[in-house]
Parts: sequence; C-alpha cells; structure tokens
Amino acid sequence: MVTDTFPPANFIPAPSAIEGIEVYQPAPTQPQAHREVVQFNCPQCGAGTAYSATDGGLTCTHCGFYEPPEHDIVGTQAERFEFTVETVQRAAQGWGEVRKELQCQSCAAYTTVSTDTLTHTCIFCGSNQVIQHAAPQDVLRPRFLIPFKIEADGCHDIARRWLGQSWMTPRSLRRAATIAHFTGIYLPFWTFETITKAHWQAEVGHTQTERYYENGEWRTRTKTVWKWESGRVNLPLKDLVIAGTNRVSPLLLAQVQTYHLDDLAPYEPKYLAGLQAQAYDVPLETAWEQARHQMREQTRQACRDQASSSKIRNFSMNMDFDQEGWRYILLPMYLTNYQFDNKRFQVMINGQTGTVTGQRPVDWTVVWLAVAALLAPGLTVGVIGFLTLLLGGLGFPIAILGFILLVIGLIISINLVTKAMRMDDA
Amino acid sequence: MPEPDFVTVTWNTNLTLTLCETCDSHYLLPSALFPFKCPTCFGAVLIEIEAEHQPNELRHHYAPEQVIPFTISHQELTAHIEQFAGRIWFAPGDLKPETLISRLQRLYLPMWLVDSGVEALWQAEVGFNYEIVSHHDQFDQNHGGWHSQQVTEQRIRWEPRLGRLNRIYHNMPAPALEQHAQIMQRLGQYDLTEAISFQTEALEQAVIHLPDRPPTDAWPDAIPAFHAAAAEECRQASRADHLRGYRWTSNYRDQHWTLLLLPVYATYYIDDEDRPQPILIHGRTGRLSGPKRASMKRARHTALIIVAMAAALFILSLILGGISFVAPPLVILAGISLLGALIIGMLAITPIIVVWQYNRNSSNREREE
Repeated sequence: MVTDTFPPANFIPAPSAIEGIEVYQPAPTQPQAHREVVQFNCPQCGAGTAYSATDGGLTCTHCGFYEPPEHDIVGTQAERFEFTVETVQRAAQGWGEVRKELQCQSCAAYTTVSTDTLTHTCIFCGSNQVIQHAAPQDVLRPRFLIPFKIEADGCHDIARRWLGQSWMTPRSLRRAATIAHFTGIYLPFWTFETITKAHWQAEVGHTQTERYYENGEWRTRTKTVWKWESGRVNLPLKDLVIAGTNRVSPLLLAQVQTYHLDDLAPYEPKYLAGLQAQAYDVPLETAWEQARHQMREQTRQACRDQASSSKIRNFSMNMDFDQEGWRYILLPMYLTNYQFDNKRFQVMINGQTGTVTGQRPVDWTVVWLAVAALLAPGLTVGVIGFLTLLLGGLGFPIAILGFILLVIGLIISINLVTKAMRMDDA
Repeated sequence: MPEPDFVTVTWNTNLTLTLCETCDSHYLLPSALFPFKCPTCFGAVLIEIEAEHQPNELRHHYAPEQVIPFTISHQELTAHIEQFAGRIWFAPGDLKPETLISRLQRLYLPMWLVDSGVEALWQAEVGFNYEIVSHHDQFDQNHGGWHSQQVTEQRIRWEPRLGRLNRIYHNMPAPALEQHAQIMQRLGQYDLTEAISFQTEALEQAVIHLPDRPPTDAWPDAIPAFHAAAAEECRQASRADHLRGYRWTSNYRDQHWTLLLLPVYATYYIDDEDRPQPILIHGRTGRLSGPKRASMKRARHTALIIVAMAAALFILSLILGGISFVAPPLVILAGISLLGALIIGMLAITPIIVVWQYNRNSSNREREE
C-alpha cells in the first residue's frame, strides 16, 4: 500500500480528469542531454579519446586513461518493441541520434561521423567529396549495439590472408593490391522475433507394393496411395537479423552478417567515439516483410516435416504471427576498398567475429585452363573409344568411360565457372 | 391545528404506521386499506402503532429518495400466476389462479441508500488500449502460393497509478431487511439503474415494508459500493481504459441515509392446515416465489374413492363367484373382477405417494433457494 511519505519519491503528478481526485504516475526516465556535437576528450590530458575494441571502452592513447561503458551487456534479453501503429508510422522516418551527418556527392550515401572528423573518404565508393547535412530529428534511435571486438590494425592481416586464399584470383593480387585504411562503421540492422502458429492440410502419398496376376504369372508393382493429413505447428523464431541498409552489397553482407547477439549492449555514444555509424534506409516495415518471408518459409517447411511422408500435394496452410517483437540495433563492420589493375574492390570484415568477405578479381585465364583440364580427360578417352569402336568392338566400353569422365568434368566445370562468376559479380 | 405526524411529513401522503405481531414486521399502510393482513406472513391483521413503539435505531425519519416502479402488466401477471398454479396435481382447493389474482397486493420492499463523503489514498494499475499491426497469411499450393492480410489487434498497456481522493458519493445501496438476500435469490435481482426519483403518486395504494435492519448494521454492506464507485472514478481521472488491483485506505464522513423502494406483488393461498402460504411476485419480471404444496387431504380423498371402487369390484367378484356354482361360465367374470379389485386397490396409494413426493421436492427446492 501507499507509503508514509506521499507521494513516493519516484512519482510525479499527472493530469486528472475529475476534480477531487489527484493522480500520480511514475516519473519517466530522464533522457540524456542531447548535444549537437559529441566530443570525447581525455579528462587527464585533454587529448581526444576513442573507443578501443581491445579494452572495451573509451581510451586515451596519450596517457592511457580508460573509461568503461556505463551499462552491462544485456545480450538477447535486450528489450524488444511491439509493432504498434504509431511505431510503424514513426519508423518510416529517419534515424534519431544527433550526430553530424555527411552526404557523399558521388554515391549520395549518408553516413554519420564522429564530431571531430570534418572530412573523410566515403567508405562505400572511395570518393573524397563530402557535403555536410544536418541529421533528421524526431526519429527512431538504436537502443542496442554490439561493440567492436576486432581492432582496425588487425584487419590488414586478415584481408591480406584472404586475398591470397583463392586460386582463381591473380597471383600478384596479394602483393600488388593497395589496401586503404579500414574504416569501422556501425551498420543498422533490424532483429525480429515471433511465434508462428500454423494449421496445415495436404494429401500425403505413401508407396505401396501390390501383387497382380497377368499373362499367367504373378507380378508386383508399386503404387502411391494418397491420404489427407493435417496438423498444427507452433514455431518460435527468435532474433532473425535483417539488414537495415541498402548501401552495402547485400551479397557481401549476407556472407559476414552472422553476429553473436549475446554481446548486445545498451547504446552509449562512447561506443561510437572515433567510429562511424549509418542510419537505416530500409524502413521497419520493409525489413519486417523480408523477415516474414523467411519466417513463412521456415514455418511451411516445419509443417511439411510433420507429414508422414515427403510426397505431398494440394498443400495449404493458415498462419498467424503472435508475440511479434523487433529491435533496431547497430552492428560493427569494417569496410575498405583496394585497387588492383585500375579497378576498385570492396572488402568487409565483421567487427565482432573477424569473418571477412569482399570482391576479388577473377583470373579468367586460370579458370578456363582449369575447365579445359577438367574436360580434357573425358574428351580424350571418348575420342579414343570412338576411334577404337570404328576399328573393333573394344571401343565401346572405352567410349562409355570417356562419356562418364566428360560428364563429371562438365559438372565440376559448371560449378567452378558459377563460383568464378559469383566472385566476379560480388 | 395539530402538527402533521412525521410519516405524513416524510412521505407527503397519508400513511399509517403499523405492526404485524406475528412476524414483527413494520409497515406503512394507506389509510384506505386499513385493516389489512400482513403482506409478509398473512397470519395476522396489522395493528396501528405510534412512532415511539418503533425500534430505537430505526426511529429516525428516513425519507424515500428513489423508487423502482411496477412495470409488469396485468396480462403478464395473470399468465405467470396461471403457470405457477396450474400445474399442481391435487392442488389445495384455495390454490387457484383466480384466487391468487383476487388477493394481489402491491408491496414495496426497502433498501438503504447512503450518501457519504470519502477521503482516501488509493493505488491501482490502469490500462490503456493500443493497437498493434499483425498479419494473417495463407498458403495454397494450387492457388498462387502466399496471400498475406494485415490485421490490427488491440492490446492493453498497464501502468501503476496512485493518488488522493476527496469525493462525495450518493445513493450507495445496502440491504434494509434481514431477509433481503434470501428474497433476492428467490425473486431475482433488481436493476438499480432503473430507479427514479420518488414521487408520492408511485405509491398507488401500495403497502411499504419498513426496514428491520438499522443503518449501523447495513453500513458494512455499503462499503463495497463506495469502493467500486471510487475505483471507476479513479480510472476516469487517470483517463485510462481499464483498471485492476484497486486498493485504498479510506475515511468516511457525513453519512446521510434514505430509502429505495423495490416493487413486489404479494398474495397467498390457504393450505390443508388452514395456514396462509405467502407468494411474492417480482414487480418488473413477474417471477414468482412461494411454497407450492399439493393437498394431502385431496389425495386421501381420491385414494378413498379408489379403495371404494376396488371394494365394489371385490363384492361383485364375490357375487359372481357365488352365482358361478349355478352358471359356471361366470367364474371367469368373477376372476376378472377379483383381479381388477386387487389392481385398483393397489393403485389407491398412488395419489398419496405422488403428493408426498411432490411436497418433499418442493420443500427441498425452497431450502436450496
């Protein structure tokens, strides 16, 4: 019941619609004072501080001052929000953190930079031309992020090792590629969770063997017997991560966006000190549609797995989403580009796990030589077999062998060429 | 000029204060009806008493403030009474629909209405409606794959609130009769929102049952009504859509007590032991409540008739048996007569058993009510 001191300390007056009745409500959490320019200076020596992935906090490289984050890691217990009508409408607008926002004149990408950076190289296209624009107000702000775990210095070695890994790339790539400075940037992502509740029905086929009498003898044959089946599925789907930006190649992003969300921490400006961050340009509703597409397919597969056989026809299902929740988070990424043979290629490194991906030039000469080497044995044996066939009966098995070798070579070649084309298109 | 008595002043009409010495109930009786049988027990004629003879705690001049008027029509009333009285085998001679209708009397049962100022500290959880956007998807392999439909669902967001309250609440009801709960269970509840301001014309030669439960006894029953009214006002004050877990520490002041009158028809029939059996009828719905007794006297009378018939058949069988010495075929008739006499004789007890069982079931039903 109400305490001796009334009202309690953490309650403030609220408007009352009835005279004679006083109403008190809990005091809202005090919002942090917003500054247009957030500057991080060492309180000991006055030098600029930046976030250090090694130490996990603000550090001063001059005097060694260290300031840890104010809040502990929350991990997957990080607060989720519902898809309220108001939220869906608000999320269609921009990003809410007040930071200096710059626009690249070359690719029109918006990025936000720490307030002590006046010019920079656009991390998306490598252009040095930047125009400053004021950041939008009154929009969603990210509540959680995963701090950087990989230092920028370590990225060069990771990238060089990766450049030399594939035999399809030119031999000189590893030593000739000029890798620019790695820029740490927090990229926007959405996470979604729900419980899908589905009811399905379908005709499921089972193979049966039966005997029948024909032409004076008993024979067996198999036939498929179709039966209607139905079922219910309740599938919890947690922390599905969807990219909140279209500025980065989705193909590359999909290869490195595996993050351990157990490291999620409450948002603090000091995590972004000395780094960059980008607002979402994929609205909540669009990202939710993408997530729902994945969730639908997972649920559909779960329903089909319930059937007693994999032979299914006339499948239909109804599905509802329950306990839907979302988060808007920032995830760490290192971006850079390198030059080779007068072309620029992009490299991305996951700032938490160190997973690397990117664009690499393809040495098509090597690839076609490999294809030739794969097809040659089959062709050669096939020709020999054909020639010996003309001369006598022995050629037939040799021709068959040649055909098999050719088919195997074709399959591997198609695989190789597809892989090379994918690498080339990334 | 003699001063008008307190009843006339309070009720603004000429009523006589009376008492039933059998059941100790007090009534206000229109002078035109005097003398009158007690409408509760019908066991004695009401006697006029002076105000000083009322119980001390009920001597205060409690005025009528609201009344729920009679709305059931005579036709509906007649239909309900015919349904009540028309299905009883071996009904007492006096239990006839026309008899019950001829003895109908309008009666008002009292309830307390109390006004009080309330000061309280309160706390609760208030709920605010909000909508979320969700989806309902359908997949059909044969009809174009996935179809998605956006739906909105309503949710409630709960938040704590507390505060102070200083309000006056009017007309909180409380029972004014000791038997109120039993009467309501038998007759059914009244919708108190249908009460209107008291006008003398509403009395229309009705008898008014005065409270036998003083305000001090009724006060604890009124507190939940104050609690509910305050909770609702706190919800409105908070501009919320819902409220739960309401708690308060309250102080009351300046109680003012008045009366609410509930409409009832009273009638009765005389049973086998010459005792009046009162019947009450809800003045709005027509629901009847009262003892339904079959007449054991009539059942015995019927049984005697059956026994007499059996005896006659028995005598006939003896006669036919005697004649059969001369005319042997008559022995068959004698046998049939004898068999008939035995069967009918056994059936003679049936009316008594039927009436006994019926009265027993009726008593059990009344005890459960």
